[in-house]
Amino acid sequence: MNAATIMTTNVATTECDKTVAEAMRILRDERIRQLPIVDKNNKVIGLLTSRKLLYLTLPRYISEGLLKDVKFAPDLPQFHQRCSELAHKDVCEVMDTDFKKIGPGVSIMEVATIFVSAEKPVECILVVDNQDRLLGIISPWDIFKRLCEYTEKK
Amino acid sequence: MLTAIIVFLAVYIILIVDKFNRAVVSLLGASLVILLGVLDQGKAVAGIDFNTIGLLIGMMIIVAVCQKTGMFQYVAIKSVKIVHGEPWRILVMLGCVTAIISALLDNVTTALLVAPLTILMAEEMQIDPYPFLFVEILMANIGGTATLIGDPPNIMIGSAANLSFMDFVKNLGPIVLIVMAATFAPIYALYGKQLKVDSHVRERVMQFNEREALQDIPLLKKCFFIFTLVIVGFLFQHRIHLEAATIAIFGAAILLLITGEDINSTLEKLEWTTIFFFAGLFIVVRGLDETGVITILAQRLMEATSGNIAITTMAILWVSAISSALTGSIPVTATMIPLVKEIGIQMGGGRDTLLPIWWALSLGACFGGSGTIIASAANVVVAGIAGKAGHHFRFIEFMKLAFPMMLLSIVLSTIYLYLRYL
Repeated sequence: MNAATIMTTNVATTECDKTVAEAMRILRDERIRQLPIVDKNNKVIGLLTSRKLLYLTLPRYISEGLLKDVKFAPDLPQFHQRCSELAHKDVCEVMDTDFKKIGPGVSIMEVATIFVSAEKPVECILVVDNQDRLLGIISPWDIFKRLCEYTEKK
Repeated sequence: MLTAIIVFLAVYIILIVDKFNRAVVSLLGASLVILLGVLDQGKAVAGIDFNTIGLLIGMMIIVAVCQKTGMFQYVAIKSVKIVHGEPWRILVMLGCVTAIISALLDNVTTALLVAPLTILMAEEMQIDPYPFLFVEILMANIGGTATLIGDPPNIMIGSAANLSFMDFVKNLGPIVLIVMAATFAPIYALYGKQLKVDSHVRERVMQFNEREALQDIPLLKKCFFIFTLVIVGFLFQHRIHLEAATIAIFGAAILLLITGEDINSTLEKLEWTTIFFFAGLFIVVRGLDETGVITILAQRLMEATSGNIAITTMAILWVSAISSALTGSIPVTATMIPLVKEIGIQMGGGRDTLLPIWWALSLGACFGGSGTIIASAANVVVAGIAGKAGHHFRFIEFMKLAFPMMLLSIVLSTIYLYLRYL
């Protein structure tokens, strides 16, 4: 089994010039958690992740790990302000460009390894062809979903 | 002889240019000293002052564990609430807390603990954190001057001249307090009036809950116990005939044993760059020393001052202050130490004759570290944290205020040294 056999192929995407609010609507309506951002040729240029959005709403001295615990402090006014400002921004301003992408032929053990050994948590892996055009998306559960089907068939 | 001088100057120039990691530069310099035959490896390794390295490592381990308890944040928040969130008083309180913590820990750790908290507080009050951070940089350098472990130059000087924790406190404590007081005056003139906030903003600061900053109470108790033990060890250092490195490493080992902290993750937190920077620098300077250049320099200096201890002391104070501000206090101190030792040999007389010069070197190197944003590690760290928070420190803007204030502290030191020792 390889990436192509376990990936979800019908992937909702959005484009660079859409606002975060529009992207959120897609996430809600499609009941998904990740939204790849593609250009006109279906080439992946970024990924909208909850982690990156949270990262952007926090002051950098917190998101960079200099203040690991803020239990002692009340909420910052600027945190709330940034949260609400986020809605009007274009997705390309806030997308994660440091996402994981693989070719369709990659083995599922390698896919599992990427999820486990990445330096920062990986929410999903994008499957692309050799011109970076989106083919599908893999979440950690996809590995096991296909494994179940496989064992049931046996 | 020429080889050693060239390597030394090259290392210095590359450090000033600041394009490459300083540890890499110093290790490269150290390797060249051996490869080019200035020293053999045995002599080079003997040039490393393991008392300095041991004390640095020991304290870094203790601090790495203690930091996790949140005890320093607790003190900082508590101090802010004592003054009811009034910004100018917060500035003074945080300045004093920074000075005290910096005297007991290294400056970099102090900066890492206090600066993010300060920015959070300033943002909570919606005022500019710059004056707060500026004062904290100065206070980290000034406070660190008061003790053996407060600032790396003192660790080196204490080791070279066999001076104890208490020697530093007794001799440099008074001038440190004077310079602290003198530092707040111009800051008040510049920023005092601007620092006003409404009472509902002050309320926000009063909502900070310092108890929540404390993380792990059992760990806190162990850390507090060992930290106190180590400081007491330093206080009686001469009476128990132990080097500072032994006390620090012993404390660190006991702390690791009783807390069961993961050794790998603790050791990862150590500032290895600084440690290797020191080791390499010691070798480069030993190479220079071996060639006799430093002896010649010392002779020239003695001729110029005609052996007058007062003039020599002032020369060391001012030269080390200005050069520390421009190149950083650690390389300056490493180079000055063999020079001062050589002066001691040429002057004759006992250890006591040389003491004013050691104090001059410490005051010059530590206070000089405030002069520019690159002069000491604490400055670089605070500027880095501020930059990440979107409050950028500009080299010139910082220097416009910091350099004159550094000169003020050196003028005060000149008067102090003259009145007390000369």
